Amino acid sequence: MAIAVFFVFAALAIAGGIGVISFHQPIRSVLSLVVVMISLSVMFLLLSAQFVFAVQIIVYAGAVMVLFLFVIALLGPARELGRGRLRFQAWLSGIFVLVLFGLMYALLQGVQYRQPEKADLSIFGSVQWIAVYLFTNYLYPFELTSILLLVAAIGAIYLSRKRTGIDDL
Amino acid sequence: MSNLVIGGSTLDASWFLGLAAILFVLGTVGVLVRRNPLVILISIELMLNAANLALVTFSRQLQNYEGQLFALMSMTVAAAEAVVGLAILVDIFRTRDAEDIDDLSELKG
Repeated sequence: MAIAVFFVFAALAIAGGIGVISFHQPIRSVLSLVVVMISLSVMFLLLSAQFVFAVQIIVYAGAVMVLFLFVIALLGPARELGRGRLRFQAWLSGIFVLVLFGLMYALLQGVQYRQPEKADLSIFGSVQWIAVYLFTNYLYPFELTSILLLVAAIGAIYLSRKRTGIDDL
Repeated sequence: MSNLVIGGSTLDASWFLGLAAILFVLGTVGVLVRRNPLVILISIELMLNAANLALVTFSRQLQNYEGQLFALMSMTVAAAEAVVGLAILVDIFRTRDAEDIDDLSELKG
């Protein structure tokens, strides 16, 4: 059962990834990315990461994707025109990607797995379990992310402010 | 080879890592080949998601919490990156029509 679920959603994720890079209209790329996000959330559930699953659906497939859709609605439908002005870009990209994929394949072949730490799998990945570590061992990085989000919010407001005079440019 | 027993079936951790590798490479293709700045940002999101899958896979294989916490942190960073990147993009589009990323080359030396 789990094997069938894995292969169905892996095929869906790869199809969505191909859709992201091959559709010509940005809105179709965004909707393909939503397919990838939801397939990956099923993968997180298979790996018993329940809290990461919920965050993936709410934050990624919900908030971030809606932000992308708003920007596309704001900018209007832009279609890509032909080829760029860099010569041989497609060929060089193809060679680079082949090398990258070969490198990752070699890494996957040589990966050495450590012995698992025998955690209690009945609570593994649950909200309580994540929260205990998030608010004890990793409290400092957790608080730092709040500063990061504050800086990002201030930056977004500054970038989208209304410009009145020549001094504001 | 590392077997994960999930719901009575046995899956291999390298399947999940292979899927993450494929998605990351697809995102790289998008960044390198596409010309629309918005689609390049979307491809970067795809790569970040692939990295998250690898982190959560190792967390499950080691039965260790740190991978999942790191995946949550990287989701926060991805959200911040999307917000700032899209704000910059809207700001650029407001002053000119930049449908091609190569149009934005004023900083060239």
